[in-house]
Amino acid sequence: MLTTVVGNYPKIPNRPRPARLRNAINRFDRGEIGAEELRAVEDEVTREVIDEQVDAGLDLITDGQVRWEDEQTYFARRLSGVSIDGLIRFFDSNTYYREPVVQGPVTWTEPATVADYRFAVEHSPRPVKAVLPGPYTLARLSRDEHYASLEGCAMAYAEALNHEARALQAAGAPVVQLNEPAILKHKADLPLFQRAIVRALEGVSAQRALYLYFGDVYGLYPQLLDLPIDVLGLDFVAGARNFDVLKLAPFSKTLGLGLVDARNTRMESVEQIVEGLRRAREIAPLERVHLSPNCGLEFLPREAAQAKLARMVESASKAQEVLA
Amino acid sequence: MSVGLLTTTVGSFPKPGYLQQARNQYAAGRLSREELAELERRATREVIALQEELGIDIIVHGEMERGDMVAYFAEQLEGMELGGLVRSYGNRYYHKPVITGALRWTEPMTVEMWRFAQGLTQKPVKGILTGPYTMVEWSFDEHYDSRREAVLAMAGVIRREAQELAKAGARFVQVDEPAASTRPEDMGLVSEALGIVTDGLGAKTITHICYGDFTPVFDQIANLPVDQLDMEMANSGYDFLGLIRQHKDGFHKELAMGVMDVHTHTTETVDQVKAGIKRALEVLPPARLYIDPDCGLKTRTWEEAAGKLRVMMQAVREVKQELGIG
Repeated sequence: MLTTVVGNYPKIPNRPRPARLRNAINRFDRGEIGAEELRAVEDEVTREVIDEQVDAGLDLITDGQVRWEDEQTYFARRLSGVSIDGLIRFFDSNTYYREPVVQGPVTWTEPATVADYRFAVEHSPRPVKAVLPGPYTLARLSRDEHYASLEGCAMAYAEALNHEARALQAAGAPVVQLNEPAILKHKADLPLFQRAIVRALEGVSAQRALYLYFGDVYGLYPQLLDLPIDVLGLDFVAGARNFDVLKLAPFSKTLGLGLVDARNTRMESVEQIVEGLRRAREIAPLERVHLSPNCGLEFLPREAAQAKLARMVESASKAQEVLA
Repeated sequence: MSVGLLTTTVGSFPKPGYLQQARNQYAAGRLSREELAELERRATREVIALQEELGIDIIVHGEMERGDMVAYFAEQLEGMELGGLVRSYGNRYYHKPVITGALRWTEPMTVEMWRFAQGLTQKPVKGILTGPYTMVEWSFDEHYDSRREAVLAMAGVIRREAQELAKAGARFVQVDEPAASTRPEDMGLVSEALGIVTDGLGAKTITHICYGDFTPVFDQIANLPVDQLDMEMANSGYDFLGLIRQHKDGFHKELAMGVMDVHTHTTETVDQVKAGIKRALEVLPPARLYIDPDCGLKTRTWEEAAGKLRVMMQAVREVKQELGIG
């Protein structure tokens, strides 16, 4: 069993620790520091959140997406044909993302996240996975003024993501992950979703992970097993029903087990997490489980995120003992 | 001649620069609570004077004493506290409240400021509360076993505050539920909780709801247990009017209709606002139609807010004159 995260990590700590990134962005916005100085602070904070994940005992980490404004914008704004507009509520959360606007052909021109990936690897003693927004969610959260069809837009994003995924693989990423929360809200789009995922991951030989959160996969399972992916990560908090849904057919992938609630500060007990792992073992053996929070950790204050990761790792060792 | 098209605002006004500065100084421990309160009263006087000058019919106190609409109550309720910083978007963070124990009302949280504001004007001043669903939805919950349990407990607390406002003489009590549009499937719970707050209150009750896809839950919205629905509409092309038109026999409440987008720096023209009002008059009689901005004005500058309200009032005056509404 591996312990990991789904993507982002809180960018600033609470007092008395300084909110370095927040202050740097404010100073950058006021013109008091330049892009290079801001970049240096982003680097420093990235190293800090890598250290926190490693200290918590995670086996597989991310760069925390410290530089990302939200789960889509950072990637979308680096594609030609896409501009970025006003704030929109991100699913049922109390956070907002900026709406990508597709104004022309979506074209990948250069790697958006490879330099960040290399930086993280250089500063991490543990393996780092590369996490990107999936083509369907990108298309769903965009305003399309060019393709006039969700499919056209999603396939164009898939094409761009395929370039990015291959570039990440060439940079040595052992895992390339796509996050696709939107499909859980529009399950009727499964055929189009499948085509987009296949296109985005074509020719990728790194481990391919797909994470779906903010709900359950009832109605999408077992069809999801046909996808060319190695890890299927699911939300067992907002989608507690997944425990039952996954029994509808034998589970043939590695299970990304999102057990720890990344949207509430209430701490899970070791017993609760071990119990979740015991139930998950009815779906997949623990060797094929990647234990994680149910979604990115940025909904939590930094200290709560850190404490939850430590508790999760402690529970994983406990489970190895008692469930072995 | 028919009557109607009364004007109001949703609740918050921009905080003047001196008050912003004073709030920062207070947070840093360089200003006393009483010094801050004096500046909050000064700003409240200015907010009331502006509304009087513009001729607005139903007044708000402007929420000069409130930062965040959830945190203001969370800081005062037993069973709640402010938690760590969470990012809302871009480089904006807030201290997200946490429910840490059984929720309990201990003393009035809004009555003193309401009394002060009502003492400054002959016109009615709305009592304004944050609704139970929004209070819970925008907080962490470390105590209750389900969202439903937490929302219903919160409803009891907010009801008590609403009763205090009514007892103090508030003729309008507004219970804001901007989070109600987050999950339309929860509209039943929103309604049940609002019912606890408004039942037999003895004041006209209002709820303010932000834009969302209400098509599947229109009946539930049309039957929320309040006298008046206050809807954000200008920034969604008045979509909601289409739903009312489709369900004409199913909508009997008063509607306070947002006619000014509060998230833009530009101001609508008088003609745009008049067109919106006239569209609403096709589906509702003027006596049941109130005109206001989409949402609270606190994110605008003072000048932008005043400018938008001036246009809104001009549009209402012209429509009334053209249609002979008194």
